[in-house]
Amino acid sequence: MKNTEQTGVFLYKHPELIPDPLDYNELYSYLKGVANVSNIWSYNDFPWNEENIIKKIETHNLNRLIIAGMMAGTVKTLFSKVMAMTGKDPDNVTIVSFNDYGLSLTNDMDRAKALLACAVSDIPFEIVAIADDSPVNPATLVIGGGIAGIQASLEIANGNSLVYLVEKTGTIGGKMATFDKTFPTLDCAACILTPKMVEVNQNPNIRLMSYCEVIEVNGTPGNFNVVVRQKARKVNVATCIGCGTCAEKCPAQAPSEFDAGTTMRKAIYIPFPQAVPNKYLIDAESCIYIKNGKCKACVKACPVPDCINLDEQDQDITINVGNIIVATGYKPFEASRMEQFGYGKFKNVLNSLEFERLLNASGPTGGNIQYRSQDKKGNWIFNNESGKPEKIAIIHCVGSRDKNYNKYCSRVCCMYSLKFSHLVLEKLPEAEVFEYFIDMRAFGKGYEEFYERIKEEGVSMIRGKTAKVEEKGGKLLLRGEDILQGTLIANYVDMVVLSIGLEPGEDNLKLSKMLGIPVTECGWFEEANYNVDPTGTFRGGISMAGACQGPKDIPDSVAQGSAAAARVIQSILRGKVSNGLSTISLSAVESRIKELTLIQ
Amino acid sequence: MSIRVQPDLRNELIKYGIGDWNACYHCGTCTAMCPLSEEGFLFPRKKIRLMQMGLKGPIESSVEPWLCYYCGDCTKTCPRDANPGELMMSLRRYLTSLYDWTGLSKKFYTSETWELGFILFFASLVVITFLFILPSFGIKFDTTLTAQGGVRVNSFAPIGIIEPFDWSMAFVVASLLISNIFRMYYKIIWKNSTTKVSLWVHIREFWLLIFNFAVQPKFSKCDDKKYWLSHWFLMSGYTIMFIVIVVFLKWFQTEEILPFYDPQRLLGYYATFGLLFGLGFAIIGRIIHKDIKFKFSHVSDWLFLAMLTGTVVTGILIHIFRINGMPMATYFSYIAHMAILVPMILIEVPFSKWSHLAYRPFAAYFHQLKKHAVPK
Ligand SMILES: Cc1cc2nc3c(=O)[nH]c(=O)nc-3n(C[C@H](O)[C@H](O)[C@H](O)COP(=O)(O)OP(=O)(O)OC[C@H]3O[C@@H](n4cnc5c(N)ncnc54)[C@H](O)[C@@H]3O)c2cc1C
Ligand code: SF4
Ligand code: SF4
Ligand code: SF4
Ligand code: SF4
Repeated sequence: MKNTEQTGVFLYKHPELIPDPLDYNELYSYLKGVANVSNIWSYNDFPWNEENIIKKIETHNLNRLIIAGMMAGTVKTLFSKVMAMTGKDPDNVTIVSFNDYGLSLTNDMDRAKALLACAVSDIPFEIVAIADDSPVNPATLVIGGGIAGIQASLEIANGNSLVYLVEKTGTIGGKMATFDKTFPTLDCAACILTPKMVEVNQNPNIRLMSYCEVIEVNGTPGNFNVVVRQKARKVNVATCIGCGTCAEKCPAQAPSEFDAGTTMRKAIYIPFPQAVPNKYLIDAESCIYIKNGKCKACVKACPVPDCINLDEQDQDITINVGNIIVATGYKPFEASRMEQFGYGKFKNVLNSLEFERLLNASGPTGGNIQYRSQDKKGNWIFNNESGKPEKIAIIHCVGSRDKNYNKYCSRVCCMYSLKFSHLVLEKLPEAEVFEYFIDMRAFGKGYEEFYERIKEEGVSMIRGKTAKVEEKGGKLLLRGEDILQGTLIANYVDMVVLSIGLEPGEDNLKLSKMLGIPVTECGWFEEANYNVDPTGTFRGGISMAGACQGPKDIPDSVAQGSAAAARVIQSILRGKVSNGLSTISLSAVESRIKELTLIQ
Repeated sequence: MSIRVQPDLRNELIKYGIGDWNACYHCGTCTAMCPLSEEGFLFPRKKIRLMQMGLKGPIESSVEPWLCYYCGDCTKTCPRDANPGELMMSLRRYLTSLYDWTGLSKKFYTSETWELGFILFFASLVVITFLFILPSFGIKFDTTLTAQGGVRVNSFAPIGIIEPFDWSMAFVVASLLISNIFRMYYKIIWKNSTTKVSLWVHIREFWLLIFNFAVQPKFSKCDDKKYWLSHWFLMSGYTIMFIVIVVFLKWFQTEEILPFYDPQRLLGYYATFGLLFGLGFAIIGRIIHKDIKFKFSHVSDWLFLAMLTGTVVTGILIHIFRINGMPMATYFSYIAHMAILVPMILIEVPFSKWSHLAYRPFAAYFHQLKKHAVPK
């Protein structure tokens, strides 16, 4: 190994940063013993400031520093500066960022040690950390049929390999299928998504498994045995002609999931007219026959013999695949958690997914912006009879950038709020629209220009997040502070739209355990490397795409869908799959380091 | 008007208990949530901004920190855990130190050693006086009892000595406070180069001052009425006690054991109850840390509570020992009582937490003056 006398290692275990499962005492002993380093200090030893570090550099005559820990890069500037101040080469500061190589996973201590060994001997980790390969089964499982999952499935299937696409609900399409337009191009969402959905249905290489869930994953990279539960649809997908006679006769109602609960559907239903597969299904929770054994109105009405089987049970199907792509998307923030905004209490406080349906030309009102009304049974629904609002306020960052809920920025809500403003003015030119924001995050290509354009359209942009919404005299009263004007806001409006954030999917933890891939502190799936392998995971044969990795918009989700597909296709072409970082053994890394140092 | 930026101001403010001065991202939630913030006097966000920018001048001339009664509504809803309520509290500590011309307030707030040192110094002066100086002038620990069986407390602590001492202590404290209030007036109203306030407004608004002191209507605006009640009891109990002890000591410190319903005893009991109720509430709140208002305690908050509790408890003990004829116990309680009371009045009242008793009502007054100010 290298001469390590003039090397100083600083172990950065910050008490307040992300949870850190590593045992730093063990790393310390490893450095001392195996890596033969004697100048090691930990974060608790002394305050890390210029003065103290200069002292260490001077007394031990150090000319190379290694900073190792979680997000160790955050303290790099201090060390580079100190090196420069002491007349040393500021470039001789090496950062070992453990979180870039997978924590909270089997083998993480070994990996941390291997990283340290590499840094001490000044050999790039990637050169010596080589995972073994396994032979690969060319079939692929894609979990989640949103835009990301659809994209990945199509890429692989069009490359002539078999794809099982498992979707939890009765249709593929994900959230995008519910939108009217997409920012910033204002493309019609259905016009670009529907053809892709149809293609999925028609591609002979795709086995679409809708209304299904993955319940068990066994085996190893390249050869997974997956148990998929086909939930009882109670309608035969092969014979149903989608005529809808059954639903006409069905007496039971439930809020429509696709319409974000803003309309009622029957117990036997199709999520939306362009659903793929375009077949009906029965929601067992609202079906009267399933509850008390009497009804069968649908069975009597159906023109196809034996198409509906109300006694059908769930069925487990086992499939063999070599690769898995996770694309399960996100869960919208539950707005009623922030009581101050009155969601669920005031009828005309809507969340953004509801507003998407209200704006949608194929939505409940045909795209007319109307007040919410109440049906005879007391359900809050959209219809075309309740009149047009004249003043609409949009509140940003609901449930995001808030330490009481989610501390991260949800990334898409600023932009979809701007899209909302535009669509409102397009449909109601006389209306007044207010956007209350903290910062406008228009980060993508053409996004800032979109923001400028919306501002010119006459939307009132107010810097200052609203603090609360009250109901007064039939109107909604918004209270807040206008930061730029330095005044209090008390604005009476007709409708309030809450730009809710994105949260990790409800199945993430379950899937994380099943697949052996970690989630981050917030609950998103953790990528193998944030920069250079954003769709990979630490486990071989498992990739991910779309919003299940973190909040993102449609273009990024699609790009990730293709990227994940590329990982799969390369392994199919090679006939092998890498076993992933989690299988790397410390002794193998050590012996490779030895070989390399001997050569040098 | 030129504005001076002091980038290191926040480092100074940290000593007054400001936590993460940089957390706030200016969403304005706190200002809108605050029941006391109003147009023209917006807080806490605006004050946080001044602090972040290091604008000492505008902070110094702010009346807003005194308008905050620390209900904690802002802190509860702040999305960044910036703790605006505590930032306002820290600004009050800071302002107290700015008003004080002696510079002692600053020392006490920023250094525990100074504060404790001074307290111990005065406490030992009291103890030495009772144990050595007074006895050398022939005053003894008289263990004989009165005809009613009570302790002869006036022979141990003669009114003739204690009263002038009380008066002079009150004089010192009052002159300190009054001069500081003038400094406060100067900073908030006088120095303002753009507006002026007429003499008539000064007079007209003065009655509000009295009203504010008695009722503390602002506190009752906060959502939770229990703060208002407990604070009202604490304040009224304290004020009554202060007046009877300093101004009417002759009438209050008697050897005769008066009947239970006598105003002297009733007033004493009420004041004691008020103090205990308010104190109990504050101490429990701080220990449990559940109320946001009490979640973050500066040393000065604790010290103040501890001293007041000590004074009340020893005061109760004096009373009990006296009417039950236990002379030595009475005297030692008396010494302990004075050893806590004197430093509390000399240090906490003019220089530390207790000074808000004077600043708050005047701030309400200055607030009204500012509202009626006209451009020059
Ligand atoms: C109100 C609103 C408006 C928006 N507008 C725009 C816009 O205009 N432009 C834009 O670019 N972006 C927009 N977005 C963002 C956009 O919704 C996302 O970028 C996109 O939907 C992400 O796609 P996805 O496939 O990753 O996830 P999703 O759309 O969430 O799809 C995930 C799919 O996986 C399925 N699934 C979940 N769990 C499982 C499981 N365990 N097993 C099987 N299947 C599962 C779900 O049923 C779903 O079909 C908007 C978001 C919101 C909230
Ligand atoms: S009536 Fe029968 S065929 Fe028609 S949609 Fe219903 S289940 Fe399908
Ligand atoms: S994208 Fe905009 S609205 Fe959404 S969390 Fe980020 S800043 Fe808030
Ligand atoms: S202190 Fe908190 S609530 Fe107030 S403006 Fe700053 S971030 Fe918003
Ligand atoms: S603590 Fe209460 S009174 Fe003080 S600023 Fe916050 S909300 Fe306003």
